[in-house]
Amino acid sequence: MSVPYAVAHQLGKAFYGKRVLENASFTVEPGDIVGVLGKNGAGKTTLLELMLGFTPPSAGGVELFGHASYRLPGAAKARLGFVPQQDELVNQLTAADQIGVIASFYPRWDDALVTRLAREWELDLGERIKGMSVGQRQKLSILLALGHRPDLLILDEPVASLDPVARRQFLEQIIDVAADGARAVVFSSHIVSDVERLANKIWIVKDHRLYWQGDFDALKDSIVRLHLRAPRGLPDTIAIPSALSVQRNGSSATVVVRDWSDGLHSETAGKLGVEIEVEQLTLEDIFLELHR
Amino acid sequence: MFILKPHSGVPIYRQLSEQIRRMAASGQLQPGTELPSIRDLAMQHAINPMTVSKVYSLLEAEGVLERNRGKPMTIAKVARAQSPAPKRLQQLEPHLEQLVLAARQLELGESDVAKALRNTWEKTDERSVRRRTPAR
Repeated sequence: MSVPYAVAHQLGKAFYGKRVLENASFTVEPGDIVGVLGKNGAGKTTLLELMLGFTPPSAGGVELFGHASYRLPGAAKARLGFVPQQDELVNQLTAADQIGVIASFYPRWDDALVTRLAREWELDLGERIKGMSVGQRQKLSILLALGHRPDLLILDEPVASLDPVARRQFLEQIIDVAADGARAVVFSSHIVSDVERLANKIWIVKDHRLYWQGDFDALKDSIVRLHLRAPRGLPDTIAIPSALSVQRNGSSATVVVRDWSDGLHSETAGKLGVEIEVEQLTLEDIFLELHR
Repeated sequence: MFILKPHSGVPIYRQLSEQIRRMAASGQLQPGTELPSIRDLAMQHAINPMTVSKVYSLLEAEGVLERNRGKPMTIAKVARAQSPAPKRLQQLEPHLEQLVLAARQLELGESDVAKALRNTWEKTDERSVRRRTPAR
């Protein structure tokens, strides 16, 4: 087993007595691409900032590369890359100057990679940042986080302002980072279809908790929609453990369950005296079902 | 080479592994055919490289694929014993479920569907026999 890059134990954060994140435990292994989903204000940014050590936890803790993230030594910091939701670019600089400033912090800065990506992403490095569109600024921020080839790349809503072409280029870059299995990516996004393509692990942040986390394939197998049919009538109560919602419609019903497994099929069908059809859901459907 | 639908609800690893299995079984992918590298396939379809590597490992364990040192994975050369019928039937299961579901919605009985299935079976059998004959 490889050593995880990030490990969190019952991580929590409160601001002025108001809890913004509770009891989050997770690991990130080399090669992982973690997709973080959640409604606005659910606690995604807080979670990522705690990981990065930007703010001390109120409870529990998170370790990066074996060190508490809040007191990360320089060498470990150099293995970290971050794209914030709001970019931190300096308006007066040109893109090239901004790259120079960041590069000076890192001994192993990859000039060739940055130059190549700038060309592929159609970024004019001579342009002053002040004159750039939001999309161009976002591309530059991503470039700055990739230049030192971080082992753990954390991105907070990195593609919100990118067009579909630029988004695909971004996805390819993430794949490139993760492809050799030695580096990891954690990214939050509202663009569920991107997360669906890329993530092997999913974290769903809901009501300031890590509501669901695990392998994407396990998520798809465990949160499903059941179609119940009972020609001789449905029972009065449809008792299925971990049901999220039940909709009755005459002699049939639709039930969304949270912890389904194939093994429950015949048992549940027999107990309720119904026939069950299992429908697997898209990530978007899963997300919506969890937020009904 | 493959048709992958990341948003279909069926996990991508299952879509990919089933396609490779079917294409190898039908001879569409001949023994010795090279598969794209993990990185290339992931890039092409914009999917997680780990998903691809999981599928390759799974199919290697099943004997469908062969790993070659420093070279691309290939469709296994060794003529392996055909997997037992129950195992192959399993691959048919999703299609059967679809069929039964559609039949139910049309309020057709089991015997009607079985009869229709037999008819279709015989029809396609004749066709494939006819197609095969000139080549012999």
